[in-house]
Amino acid sequence: MFPCTADATATLACTMKTFVRADGPDKVTGSGRYVADLTLTGMLHAKFLYAGVAHGQIDRLDVEAARAIPGVLAVMTTDDVPDHRYSPVIPDRTLFAKNIVRFEGEILAAVAATTPEIAAQALAAIDVAITELPVVNDIEAALADDAPLVHEDWESYDVTGDTIRDRNVATFSAIEKGDIDAALAGAAHVVTSRYVADASHATPIEPRGIVAQWEGDKVTIWTSTQVPYDARDGVCETLGLPANRVRIIVPHLGGGFGGKCGFHFEAHIAALARATKRPVKLVFSREEEFLAPDRRREGMIVDITTGLSADGDIVARKAWVGIDNGAYVADAAFFPQLAAMHVGGPYKIPAVKIDAQLIYTNRQPSGSVRAPTAPQACWAVETHTDELAAAAGLDPVEFRRRNLVRTGDEGIAGQIYDEIGLDQCLDLAVSAMGSPDLPSDEAIGVAIGWWPSFAGPAGAYAKMHGDGTVQVITGAQECGTGAVMTLRDIAADELGVGVEDVQLVYQDTGAAPVGPGATGSQTLLNHGRAVESATQQIAEQLRELAANELEAAASDIVLGDGVASVAGTPAVSVPIADLAATAAGGDLLLGSASAPMPEWPSVSARCVGDQEMASWLAPQFSCHVVRVQLDADTGVARVLDVQAAHDSGTILNPIGATGQIEGGVMMGIGQALSEITQYDEAGKQRNPGLLEYKLQTIADAPTISTQFVEIFTPNAGPRGSKGLAEAPNVATAAAISNALAKLTGGPIRQLPMTPERVWEHLDARRGSDATEVST
Amino acid sequence: MSTNEQAVTLEVNRVSYAVQVPMGSNLSGVLRNTVGLTGTKEGCDDCECGACMVLLDGQPVNSCSYLAVQAQGRQITTVEGLADGDELHALQRNILEAGGVQCGFCTPGMLMSARALLDRTPNPTDDEIRIGLSGNLCRCTGYAKIIEAVRETAVQL
Repeated sequence: MFPCTADATATLACTMKTFVRADGPDKVTGSGRYVADLTLTGMLHAKFLYAGVAHGQIDRLDVEAARAIPGVLAVMTTDDVPDHRYSPVIPDRTLFAKNIVRFEGEILAAVAATTPEIAAQALAAIDVAITELPVVNDIEAALADDAPLVHEDWESYDVTGDTIRDRNVATFSAIEKGDIDAALAGAAHVVTSRYVADASHATPIEPRGIVAQWEGDKVTIWTSTQVPYDARDGVCETLGLPANRVRIIVPHLGGGFGGKCGFHFEAHIAALARATKRPVKLVFSREEEFLAPDRRREGMIVDITTGLSADGDIVARKAWVGIDNGAYVADAAFFPQLAAMHVGGPYKIPAVKIDAQLIYTNRQPSGSVRAPTAPQACWAVETHTDELAAAAGLDPVEFRRRNLVRTGDEGIAGQIYDEIGLDQCLDLAVSAMGSPDLPSDEAIGVAIGWWPSFAGPAGAYAKMHGDGTVQVITGAQECGTGAVMTLRDIAADELGVGVEDVQLVYQDTGAAPVGPGATGSQTLLNHGRAVESATQQIAEQLRELAANELEAAASDIVLGDGVASVAGTPAVSVPIADLAATAAGGDLLLGSASAPMPEWPSVSARCVGDQEMASWLAPQFSCHVVRVQLDADTGVARVLDVQAAHDSGTILNPIGATGQIEGGVMMGIGQALSEITQYDEAGKQRNPGLLEYKLQTIADAPTISTQFVEIFTPNAGPRGSKGLAEAPNVATAAAISNALAKLTGGPIRQLPMTPERVWEHLDARRGSDATEVST
Repeated sequence: MSTNEQAVTLEVNRVSYAVQVPMGSNLSGVLRNTVGLTGTKEGCDDCECGACMVLLDGQPVNSCSYLAVQAQGRQITTVEGLADGDELHALQRNILEAGGVQCGFCTPGMLMSARALLDRTPNPTDDEIRIGLSGNLCRCTGYAKIIEAVRETAVQL
């Protein structure tokens, strides 16, 4: 499946046929430490008091009785921290609720006490009175003319960038190309549909934890974050601290999936630790993990109209996307533009007008969960695509082949694509599924998806010790994918030493240069290039040393298998460890580099409210083909088999890469069939627990087969690679939707497609069939 | 407080620990905070995720929802007791080699359920593996490589 080619760019993949992650033994023996496992002498336990109502005016918040409880060392509210609004792009948030609460998980107060039980007593002793205000409970309610404003003061916020706002519309973006009205008027077929997706959750199995400890005017914070530098910057901004006095350390991280991106609760705990002069620890319950973070996967409405030529070419697409932002924008300002790209899809469409709005509601804030906006938008568009194929009288696969983007084509925002492999993904996944004889309760569904690669600043240090072993110090964050672990292999490959000779120092902002963290599938893409550059500096030094030793030109020295040798005459060699010993007595072997920034492609479409999400660096493509079985009596669908084909450029770590596909597909199945966050009339979550919010179990798991279309992609990640971890989460729900549409006589148009919804859909169809028979 | 506490002796991984525990304490909390073995994880406190799975006399139990005082007189096995000294158990080795470990937070519970499964069903079918591990949620792997590791271990043992 992963042929080693003669191409030098593929050598690393050849060495990585086996991959036993360096943090693995720690994780399988139980010796690995996660934040909840940490204990410091004198440590206090923190708990938060939440609003408990979705929208309200705080009339009274009296913490004196709580402060008087023995064992309670601090109770903090907004009065005890700097008065400051934060968040990127739209600073609409404060650490603690101030006068108004805008969602049920908003923090009113934080307590530090000697035991968790005393902390809980203190919460109960806080005297709160909140007058409830009208709740803006969904997208359509927020857009009504007489809708209450979620943020009365929205106009006073100090926003940045090309950010278009209006009342409850937090941001607006549009992509426009060609003459949409003329193109639709001239279309042979026009299909209009609405699709509605509910919110869901990232749901890492580790609930988040934080421990903070001050030493003088410096604080160290151990936290389960995916983005240590964002966490550090948030603490600095909200507490008014310089960057070099806040050190973030992440022990092992128990998954994130976007849910642990962004700055969350580190400042609250640091503030409690400073006030009490004691280490303070917070560990979330599962219910808090559902209710409090600003990283819910957004609900979405997609209204879409597509025009086709008589031959089945897409000639026009007009759409509106409404995104449920919840109460605060967090990192979601770019969601409308990204959703617009996905609603356009990886298709050639000459005329486009897609408007998208991020809409304030009194619900938990939305934020980047694995491939934000994409699974829902892809589900809508790819379900719509099967409807288009039917209108054109074409097979869904043929229809896609006819309209998808290939190398050299112009995409939805007018970007011209370099070499891409979407057509190959479609062919591979479809032929891998084949055309089996299916019983009447099974069907096959197909969907294609895409996702950008994200470049960002990232640095690395490297040092070779006197014994020839290597330390790489990276700002990268391991959230489980193995991408950070793979950095060892890159360093070993550059330096010609064994991977066991390379150790990583990572997840410590006090030691490593800055990096974007485990977000946007960028770990290998950015940190990989930084590690390449830093270790190449040492490799250059080694070649100079070897050239002296072997009386050859430095350019002729080859590093490999622990020795430096002369190209063509491997017998003329010197152990790298000997060179390292020499260097240890003089010019030390040190590397330090910032990843060179790739060039972003240009776009020609009109991008209104541009949030830099229309130009896609090294876009990734995928096709998922699924075989689904439906029990028509109960509405229960089961995915039996998944064929996934992905273009994520060169694959460096095949075991890690297939692990990402399998995990992403499984998450997609959950989003398709079982994962739904439900709200009551008062805007509160009805199912903040794992019994009622259904993740897929091992018993639900289908067989998943993965194929990669390995196209060397320049101007992207190391060795021609692109991003990988989010892409597999894009197309699965869409493919399941298309299979279910075949089994139920038409698309379901609501996500997730729960048994109840499938059954109701079938029942309505049965009713309409009966009507047709009787007339 | 002391009237609510009880002295118990817990046999964990063949070592005896004499500890004082509040009557209402769950086993996972006592293992983690009193005995000092943090390999057992807590993901939900509600028997839903399986991260806290330990073996009691060989049977898998969600230790978050089991009282510590009830464990007196029973053999408790946690993930720390799976390896033989520095020698990894075949399940540990195979789950690593198969790529069945990502974030690792579900791994201790998953391994304990797998150990119990193989103890009672040495040659499980894939369906038996799925049923045996269906009380353990994993968000990272999609489960495929975990199934592969259990299958491989059954062949080896």
